[in-house]
Amino acid sequence: MSTVAVESDLDAVRAEAQDWLAQNWHGVDDPAWNRRVAEAGYAAPTWPAEDSGRGYSRAQARAVAAVFDAAGAPGAARELRGFHEYPWLELMGGPIRAYGTPEQKRELLPRLLAGEFGVGCLLYSEPGAGSDLAGLQTRAECDGDEYVVNGQKVWTTGGHLADTALLMARTDWDVPKHAGLSFFIFPMRQPGVEVRPIRQMTGDAEFNEVFLTDARVPAANLIGGPGNGWKVLQIALGAERRGMGEMAMGTAKTSTRPSLYALSDDLVEAARAAGRSDDPVVRQEIMRIHAWRLTNEWNNARALEEFRTNGASSLASLGKLANSRILHGAAALRYRLLGNRALQYDEAADDEAYRIDYDLMFAFINSIGGGSDQIQRNIISERVLGLPKGFEPDKGVPFRDVLKADATRSLG
Amino acid sequence: MFSALTEEQREFRELVRGFLAEKSTEADVRRLMATEQGYDPQLWRQMAEEVGLQGIAIAEEHGGQGFGWIELGIVLEEMGRVLLCAPYFSTVVLAASAIAESGDAEAAAARLPGIADGSTIATLAFPGENGRWDAEGVTARATREGGSWRISGTAPSTIDGHVASLFVVPARTDEGVSLFLVDRGDGVASTSLQTLDQTRRLAVVTFDGAAAEPLGEPSAGAATLERVLDLAAVGLAAEQAGAARAAFDMSVAYLKERVQFGQPIGAFQALKHMAADVLIEVESASSASSYALWAAAESRDQLPAAASLAAAFCTDALVTACHQNIQFHGGMGFTWEVPAHLYFKRARADEILLGDADFHRERLAQRIGV
Ligand SMILES: Cc1cc2nc3c(=O)[nH]c(=O)nc-3n(C[C@H](O)[C@H](O)[C@H](O)COP(=O)(O)OP(=O)(O)OC[C@H]3O[C@@H](n4cnc5c(N)ncnc54)[C@H](O)[C@@H]3O)c2cc1C
Repeated sequence: MSTVAVESDLDAVRAEAQDWLAQNWHGVDDPAWNRRVAEAGYAAPTWPAEDSGRGYSRAQARAVAAVFDAAGAPGAARELRGFHEYPWLELMGGPIRAYGTPEQKRELLPRLLAGEFGVGCLLYSEPGAGSDLAGLQTRAECDGDEYVVNGQKVWTTGGHLADTALLMARTDWDVPKHAGLSFFIFPMRQPGVEVRPIRQMTGDAEFNEVFLTDARVPAANLIGGPGNGWKVLQIALGAERRGMGEMAMGTAKTSTRPSLYALSDDLVEAARAAGRSDDPVVRQEIMRIHAWRLTNEWNNARALEEFRTNGASSLASLGKLANSRILHGAAALRYRLLGNRALQYDEAADDEAYRIDYDLMFAFINSIGGGSDQIQRNIISERVLGLPKGFEPDKGVPFRDVLKADATRSLG
Repeated sequence: MFSALTEEQREFRELVRGFLAEKSTEADVRRLMATEQGYDPQLWRQMAEEVGLQGIAIAEEHGGQGFGWIELGIVLEEMGRVLLCAPYFSTVVLAASAIAESGDAEAAAARLPGIADGSTIATLAFPGENGRWDAEGVTARATREGGSWRISGTAPSTIDGHVASLFVVPARTDEGVSLFLVDRGDGVASTSLQTLDQTRRLAVVTFDGAAAEPLGEPSAGAATLERVLDLAAVGLAAEQAGAARAAFDMSVAYLKERVQFGQPIGAFQALKHMAADVLIEVESASSASSYALWAAAESRDQLPAAASLAAAFCTDALVTACHQNIQFHGGMGFTWEVPAHLYFKRARADEILLGDADFHRERLAQRIGV
């Protein structure tokens, strides 16, 4: 397509959005407005029409976003804002789009795009099923047009705030472990859902144990059909891991200089403040982290391009692992540069020191959460490099007969 | 010659280990770290009266046991292992060795018996406001008024400064850096800090014209301070070696117990290799610490280099052991309930308590003539 053609095509997109806004935007940002944006396909315009989008290119979607911004109207082109702003579009939207029935797409996607599912959480991990997520023991049993759910989940980030969960549960015990799982969109606000906070090493309690006792979920919320949950989950896990790989953590975003120069300004400032910006040891360390951050950004950019052209990217699975050393390395350096101020951990007394100490600990969320670094290495070596799988003692064995980790432990 | 522990020393280790296993359980640590004082005065008395721990390396003429740095190192290693909450490092390693190393017989006779019998809690009010862990880091100022001395200055992170009744204070005088003793009283103020490592407390200590007593020859202050900082680094390294071993023991136990994919996670080669790598660090930390303790006890000409080596090595080894311990524990390792974070926080605080590993590696380079 020539540049002129692209421009006239963008003009048409802009004009259509302007018309639509003229008829629909009355200056009130409320649930009804969000619903209208979603139903018109403007909430995620790059999604295809059957997924409540408009099948637009990213350039077209950006043009729509600009038209909405100019009118002061919120809610358009949410999918362009990245995983961290709208993680739910990927975590829930991905599975529905890939495996939902046409009715589910029609019913669930506009609600998702309009924000009607509220705050979300992930009911995947269990005390006995962490890295070995397919070993989970929470059961969902069909009861007419509902499923009845019993079991215990753990490490549920934000569970205490959540309205809706993505739930993995076992619907069949007589097949090998991956084959008996199902993926549900599960309402949290109901009897039988008990959320107990777990205190973290940082002192906060952002994650929880969740006890499910005869809780209910409509069968219409089972995505991908019974027994297909593992396949469906891979879409959500892939999105989560890619999202974690995008956490840049540098300070280039607020700088006018290219990221090549500015991505590690935070570390440079910390070294200056410590009077150590001439120290070759510190300089080497900063530049090592700088290169990690930059190459990770560039890898992400290449991955995005691969997705666009091939619909898949093996590069994308590297970001989360790469990010572990970035997050741990940068936090540890900033911590050391702070010197004895870092010995204090008191938000009220020294907010900067508190933040750095906090980051030093919180970096483990990336190296453990969403699948540990070791699991990520296994995935990369098996799925990207095609290396043979290790010994799997439970392969082909009905889940009922597999050796399981103790699932009864409670932290409460 | 540097050698393995004697039979008696091994027995002594068992004695200390047994005592601490009973008195400083994980539950005790968690209870004490939440108290205002941060230690148990009754246990502190028992340590002095039943086992003589505070006086282990204090001369018998001053009420101590008359042992040396090897035995003190054994005690510190065992204390590090259980993350004992007590003002031991500050009182015994920092303050008592400053008094002993000053060569001031009068001060030793007057002050060491109180430390040995557990009645005195003491500390070194250092580093100064600039945070440097060497004689150049001295920022307090002492001036003579008639026949007496007064000190003014601030030490922003004094170990156990909130409970110490006696402070060793390095200060600048017209003759250079000198050491002084200051009793808690008029002109001395301390404020507890909320610390990252809650098992070791810090306080901001401020001297505002506080009455001070010279400790040792004023002209020897800088040299004494350097020796005390080296000994402190050796003492801390012993604690670090003990804590590293405890964190690693926790890791190994979990690797055998936690089942995923139908087998204990210790069966995964990825974790086996990680564990073997950590073991090299932990064992090497023990060796570095032992050598430095031997140098402190028997070979003072080697002390400066051995101290810096042990400080740098044990710092990194403990951070590695505690970091990997959390990683081995997965989500469990990120919780408050599992003690992995207590070791991790001790490791990170120790990392900068007496100057970080880069600082000590540079000092090592200078001290071995590079
Ligand atoms: C801060 C935080 C937030 C989280 N939020 C959520 C959430 O919202 N929802 C949710 O469902 N989960 C959540 N998780 C859980 C997270 O996904 C799990 O902690 C993670 O998958 C690891 O499982 P685990 O904790 O059971 O550790 P384990 O699986 O017990 O792992 C222990 C150790 O064994 C290693 N290991 C295990 N298997 C292998 C293998 N085959 N090869 C090599 N090494 C192996 C691991 O790397 C780790 O070092 C969160 C975790 C954290 C830390």
